[in-house]
Amino acid sequence: MNTPQSDYMLLFRGTNWDKELSPEQLQKVVSDWAAWFERLTKQGKALSGHPLQNEGKIVSGKKGRTIADGPFAESKEAVGGYFYLRVADENEALEIARECPGLEYGAIVEVRPVAEMCTVRARAMEASARSQQLAGATA
Amino acid sequence: MNTPNEPSDYMLLFRGPHWDRGLSPEELRQTLDRVMAWFEGLKDQGKVKAGQPLGPESRMVSGRNGRTVADGPFAESKEAVGGFLQIEANSLDEAVAIAKTFPPLDYGITVEVRPVLEECPCFKRAKEQLALATA
Repeated sequence: MNTPQSDYMLLFRGTNWDKELSPEQLQKVVSDWAAWFERLTKQGKALSGHPLQNEGKIVSGKKGRTIADGPFAESKEAVGGYFYLRVADENEALEIARECPGLEYGAIVEVRPVAEMCTVRARAMEASARSQQLAGATA
Repeated sequence: MNTPNEPSDYMLLFRGPHWDRGLSPEELRQTLDRVMAWFEGLKDQGKVKAGQPLGPESRMVSGRNGRTVADGPFAESKEAVGGFLQIEANSLDEAVAIAKTFPPLDYGITVEVRPVLEECPCFKRAKEQLALATA
């Protein structure tokens, strides 16, 4: 029997929640996190996952003319890392998100479905299908 | 500094998934074609490691044992991550140069460029602190 599978991205938000922890707490959360990822990997549920460095750049503006630094460090919102999951459904993705060892210290996990097509392209295709229907109806 | 670096991975996070608002169908079609060509070009150069768009649904899990699950406030926001691309580049500068050529930048999207690490910075801090404590 084939279980339906879908891909989800967990984005770990907050790059400052570990600052107040004692070395022992930090050590525990770090090893819990590693064990958590290893288990998910063995179960075939985590396909990849990485932390992101707190340095980085934000590119914006026409032709990317504006290059700004973070801020990615000491932020509640900044993405500190991610897991890429292959699971049955959103509930399973949420269940996994709830196991994140950083949660009790203030980390936030954003759970997002991975899409086949970007929403802009999907909207463009819908719009073009609608105008074709319209053209068909008036033809 | 011009020292050549080992290639490493960079994550591009595309923020602001509503850049198509206000574009004519023709402009939109052309830009989407340019995005596709941009992506194919990077793939042909062997620079793409992974990449996917994300759906608009978003849940934010927080609190002890994840007791709070809220709908992400991000769907309509300029900050929302609409997709990601993991690329290989020789430096942050090269990754930024690649990000700068992403066509929807002309329409208000922003691209966050972040080095991908093997080990979490807080793992490192924990190790250093423990090393100090046991020294």
